[in-house]
Amino acid sequence: MSIPGLHLTQIGSGDFLLEPSRSLNICDQDQLIERIATRLQQARASRLYYDLAEQAIIDPVYYAWLNALARTTGAINVRMVCVHMQPTAAFALAQFTHEIPAFETALDISGWQRTEQ
Amino acid sequence: MAQEKSTSASAKLTELLKLQVGSISETIEKEGRTIFGGSNNLLGTDEITDFCIEFLQLLVALLESRDPHDDGSPQFHALEMFFNGLSKQILVRGGRVEDLVRYIQFMQRTLIEALAHDKKNTTVDDTRDALLFLSGTFNELILAVFQAYLDEKERTINAQEAELRETATPITEIWDGVLTLPIIGTLDSNRTMLVMEALLNRIAKEHANAVVMDLTGVKNIDSQVSHHLIQMMRAVQLMGADAILTGIRPEIARALTSLNIDMSGVTTRASLSDGLKEAFRRMGIQVSHKAI
Repeated sequence: MSIPGLHLTQIGSGDFLLEPSRSLNICDQDQLIERIATRLQQARASRLYYDLAEQAIIDPVYYAWLNALARTTGAINVRMVCVHMQPTAAFALAQFTHEIPAFETALDISGWQRTEQ
Repeated sequence: MAQEKSTSASAKLTELLKLQVGSISETIEKEGRTIFGGSNNLLGTDEITDFCIEFLQLLVALLESRDPHDDGSPQFHALEMFFNGLSKQILVRGGRVEDLVRYIQFMQRTLIEALAHDKKNTTVDDTRDALLFLSGTFNELILAVFQAYLDEKERTINAQEAELRETATPITEIWDGVLTLPIIGTLDSNRTMLVMEALLNRIAKEHANAVVMDLTGVKNIDSQVSHHLIQMMRAVQLMGADAILTGIRPEIARALTSLNIDMSGVTTRASLSDGLKEAFRRMGIQVSHKAI
């Protein structure tokens, strides 16, 4: 089952990698979140890595999308970890948000797994 | 009418220059050697000869142009650029702008004196127009020299500031994946932003897992800087690295609390060594004394 605008790949037992493509349309976020959650639940996922390598700037709209997705995956017991956040994106995000995001962050997947152990 | 007058004055001046070019060139070259050559060692003899010739050629080109008074003409621009380049060359070699300005005034005086020698073929009106032309042109040239001087000074100040910033905020990888950032001196908003940018780029480049930011060398802090500092810590955490703040002086701690800065998400330790221990602990690195 493919989801438009993103690639969702199983990268280990219970681990999934979400790579957004340029065509990702977050205006349609309710439907997207439902489809992602369905896929994760069917595969008995426990972690979702969201790759932000191509995202140079995170604006309030994109941040809201990330938070909504993280809260939903959290509700089905899947932890969402954003990886490869770019310095410019972290800089911009730190400027406007004062709250702790609903998602966790890590430099990369291996780095996060190492700290978890 | 005025255009005709000025054209006639510049034609006379051109003629005069051509007639007396040898003596004018010799006079300004001699003065140039006194000011910039010899023990002053700012320009070589050949360089002085070359720039005197070039100056006179550019001046003649301006006088022969359609409107010598037009300071937007290519000929005028060429003359300005010539003095701009010359002043940069002299300033880089340690010369003083005052000497250069005096020398330009000497050039102007030499041309006026040359004008005075040719009394036979020149009317009072022609002389007045020529003097007006010379004073206007040389004023612009002096301005070009000052512009070059200011540009050079600004460039030097910017370079010194950049160097100071670089040395005052050295981001060092003290262990694999552990960065330290001792901040020394006064933190202002501009500097905090620059540090934040450098730090975030370094985290991405080195794949750093932890950053220990030491404020022992910071004497005071204001509300805006405190917010930037907290933003910096938050940005580090958003990138997935641990941020540890150390060496907060009591007066800064008091300032942070009185400013109602939310420190809940910030890990703090008393000293840099405590911060490093915490970073190592989080990374699962154990450092112990060797058993003898």
